[in-house]
Amino acid sequence: MSTFFQTLIVGLRLGSIYALIALGYTMVYGIIRLINFAHGDFIMVGGYTMIFTIPLALRMGLPAWTAVLAGVVVCVLVGVGTELIAYRPVRKTGTAMTALITAIAMSLFLENLAQAIPAIGPNPKVSSQIFASGGISIGSVTMEYTTIITILISAVIMVILYEFTQKTRLGRAMRCVSEDKAAATLMGINVNHTILLTFAVGSGLAAVAALMYMAQYPKVYTTMGSLLGLKAFVSAVLGGIGIIPGAVLGGIVIGLVESFTTSYISSSMADTFVFLILIIVLVLKPAGIMGKNVGEKV
Amino acid sequence: MKKNKTGFGYLLNTIVIILLFTAFQIITGIFGSQGSFKLVVVPCLWQCCYLIILAASLNLVLGFLGQLSLGHCGFMAIGAYTAALLSLACERAELFTKKEGAVFILILFGCIIAAGLLSALVGLLVGVPALRLKGDYLAIITLGFGMIIVNIINNLPFCGQDGLAQGSAAASLYKNGLGFGSKDKVAYIWVALLVTILCLTLMFMFIRSKYGRAIKAIRDDEIAASASGINTSYYKVFTFAYSAFFAGIAGALYACANATLSTSSFAFTNGGILNSTFVVVMVVLGGMGSITGSVVAAVIMFLVNYQIKNGAWVTALSASVQGVFEYPMLVYAIVLIVVILFRPKGIFGTYEFSLMNLRRDVKASLARKSAERAERKGAKSHG
Amino acid sequence: MKKWKLLSMLLVICMVFSLAACGDSAAPAAEGGEGSSDEPIVIGVISPNTGALAAYGNGIVTGVDLAVEEINAAGGILGRPVEVIKTDDQSDPTECLNAFNSLVSQGVGLIIGSATSGCTSAITDAANEEEVCLLSPTATADSITTEDDYIFRACYADSFQGAIAAAYAKQAGYEKVGVVYCAADVYSKGLFDSFSSACAEYGVEVVASESTASLDVQDYTNQFTSMVTAGVDFVYAPFYYDVIGPYVVPQARAAGYTGVIMGADGYDTTPDYVVEGADLTAFNDVYWTNHYDPSDTSEKVSSFVSAYEAKYGSIPSAFGATGYDCVYMYKAAIEAAGTDESSAVRDALADTSAVYECVTGTFSLDESGTPVKGAAIISFVSDGSAVTSKLVDVVTELP
Repeated sequence: MSTFFQTLIVGLRLGSIYALIALGYTMVYGIIRLINFAHGDFIMVGGYTMIFTIPLALRMGLPAWTAVLAGVVVCVLVGVGTELIAYRPVRKTGTAMTALITAIAMSLFLENLAQAIPAIGPNPKVSSQIFASGGISIGSVTMEYTTIITILISAVIMVILYEFTQKTRLGRAMRCVSEDKAAATLMGINVNHTILLTFAVGSGLAAVAALMYMAQYPKVYTTMGSLLGLKAFVSAVLGGIGIIPGAVLGGIVIGLVESFTTSYISSSMADTFVFLILIIVLVLKPAGIMGKNVGEKV
Repeated sequence: MKKNKTGFGYLLNTIVIILLFTAFQIITGIFGSQGSFKLVVVPCLWQCCYLIILAASLNLVLGFLGQLSLGHCGFMAIGAYTAALLSLACERAELFTKKEGAVFILILFGCIIAAGLLSALVGLLVGVPALRLKGDYLAIITLGFGMIIVNIINNLPFCGQDGLAQGSAAASLYKNGLGFGSKDKVAYIWVALLVTILCLTLMFMFIRSKYGRAIKAIRDDEIAASASGINTSYYKVFTFAYSAFFAGIAGALYACANATLSTSSFAFTNGGILNSTFVVVMVVLGGMGSITGSVVAAVIMFLVNYQIKNGAWVTALSASVQGVFEYPMLVYAIVLIVVILFRPKGIFGTYEFSLMNLRRDVKASLARKSAERAERKGAKSHG
Repeated sequence: MKKWKLLSMLLVICMVFSLAACGDSAAPAAEGGEGSSDEPIVIGVISPNTGALAAYGNGIVTGVDLAVEEINAAGGILGRPVEVIKTDDQSDPTECLNAFNSLVSQGVGLIIGSATSGCTSAITDAANEEEVCLLSPTATADSITTEDDYIFRACYADSFQGAIAAAYAKQAGYEKVGVVYCAADVYSKGLFDSFSSACAEYGVEVVASESTASLDVQDYTNQFTSMVTAGVDFVYAPFYYDVIGPYVVPQARAAGYTGVIMGADGYDTTPDYVVEGADLTAFNDVYWTNHYDPSDTSEKVSSFVSAYEAKYGSIPSAFGATGYDCVYMYKAAIEAAGTDESSAVRDALADTSAVYECVTGTFSLDESGTPVKGAAIISFVSDGSAVTSKLVDVVTELP
């Protein structure tokens, strides 16, 4: 029984991270229908920023997590820069496919640029402890505070994002752009500004996700974003892409599947089962768990 | 009249190919033993061959059917492992001992075809459920499938990261089985070229056929196509499997060209250029809907990648540029972004190279160029 | 016109970064040859300098650079300066073969490479065919070297390291052991195989074995929970430092596993990769086998470590140490042969009586070309705030 709880907790721990990253993915995808492959690398950028700023924060007598502010600033700059330099010009001239290629190229660019910067280099870096260790013990199993904080942060961000997109003017503009760009322009919405804002929010979230990731898995390396981003994107698709609560649900499901496969089926086949679940869900319900199937107009 | 023209086209192409082939064989005969030809040109040709087949086969799905598949290297992995394991089995059954003679060539082609067939079968199995979805969802499913293939091969006791040897490294694939050494690569370069030409011909014929017209109709408007009586799901799944067949053949050539098979080479992303994302990049760069484009893009991408790392001219550059070239993938990423920004429809668009129409095409393109120039001049003098 | 602006921006980015990058990494490739009367001795290096395993390649290249610098400062080999041509294999077998072919076509006859067994096995037979010496710093798979060939290495084979760990388990009185390894990594899988076959030989029972799908896995808690469930007190976990330090050991302890964790040379430099501020007593009872003891006070090791630290500002990893040794092994072999011609150097390296005094031990090569050297069994000791290494035992041969 303790194995079961332990597995559950590991699943939640992984899942909460995936959920947090998936929120950023789903924001961007929801608006411009682009799989932003570089999102995983924004996490890497945030991670390295914090690796360098955490010692500064500690020296100034601040708690380590305050370094996330620097991370958010850098990530937003990188995200907005990516949109301005690469995505926007391509969106103007190219098709959905060329935009996707640009995203892949940006991801490659960021990963390899990081490797080329001498201060970062190819060696991985390990962060110092961010939150105090310890947790709530149930029998022999401990649920760490960090995990609980991550889940709470995911939930809070989910609610804020949901309210933001539903209630505020800017949020409504975002939804409008995602439905129909041309109509949005006609309604007096500045499409480019709205997309830029989405990128800023999405990449800022990446920095927060990087903080929580490092709090539990304190290692940063230049290619960390590829598999992590992939699994987070899978989570977003599983939950129903573009749907904010769906991203969180999808992340938790993927984390749990991964953990339970490792414990109960085969530890080396976890990836297979994660993607198998995805395929099954998508075939049965193509719009994702929380998505609505929309019939095609003729 | 039309019929005759097509027949003449096939004849012309066949003659030209035979001429080029003979010329190449003569060159091989003369230079075959020379160091740089054996060590640089021939291995590069092998690599170009499988990249060309791979890119062109993905173009069938991506460019002509209009469906994004991000797991194409999964099929290549199946092909590579099938060919390698089969040939190794033949070797251990002592059907051949040396890499020469009619029996070996027979086994070689048998392995290549078997690799294609198994890939096509898996393509069929994947295609039936996956092709119910569209666009990014299909992309994610095929991506997931690619990951599953790699994960499963890793866990198969008889292949995986251990390679195919009985020991723990794959070295033995080199000595026996299909893996060709430098000398054998020169001796069997005709196999790679022949297979590539055959595959390209089959793909050309496919897109010229009723199937090709049907899938182009599906790409342009699926609902209109099905309203015109095209069985869309049949054509989609068939194209997917047909494309997987060639990806498997590319895998078999890969197994010949490389002593070692390692699943990480077929992963979704990895350090090198052989992965599912880069195949997509090749197709888009060459032009979706142009087999010619895929061929050219595959060669260009390979050469850029190879030259940045191994080109002799790199040492002649200034130290700061060399500093950049120490990170080939970075240069690559920049080149990619620039190309996409300046020519988003790819190098060739949907243009197909043809000997028959070469003169006409060149003339048309020159006329268009000069017209554009004149227009620009006019615009400048006005503005 | 906007496009040109973008292009120029991209170019500016290129330039900025290239200035940053060439600060210390872009070593001038051709500097030797002018001052000396003789042509330089050229050694080719193939390593994964970029890509997922760039850290390994980085270690090898820094080690090689340091050794070459020392040798050239001391007058070179046979009075001739040493020149290094570095190539990148991106940890892909195809790229490795390309790099190899390109080196050979430039006339290089002595090659150091590559880091992983997967890449190295792609070029072993090509090296034999072209009659080019190949000395691998860290390819540990058993089948890399065979008798009568051009392939040698500076590390020991998997079968030896795995067996040492099994012998240690037997000696320390553990009857039942567990293994956690990575199925997708040749190094980890190779050690797992040799450990379990040695266990069978020594009468130690492997009661639980768990694996991970890739080296990118972050969570090892479930694997160690099943170790606890299986009731073992000795777990063999052949991973690398970057996973052991931040992930495996802390998570194993958090999962309630209190027994011994044993590893191999991949654990080297783990103390640099632990989480500062966490409870580091987790690292007590962690043992590993290594080529050498980094805290060894012998002159060879301490001068290497201090020179490396002075040049690069960090402690050398096992990759750095073996890369450094490879150059000195070539130096000894070239001096023994009296020429840098590859077949003569090969004969010198194949001489099993030659003794190499290296950082990673004093050893000679066996018939296959693998060093016969002892393994140091080292344990981590921690008072809670820092992790240090302590030499436990030196094993010279298998029981």
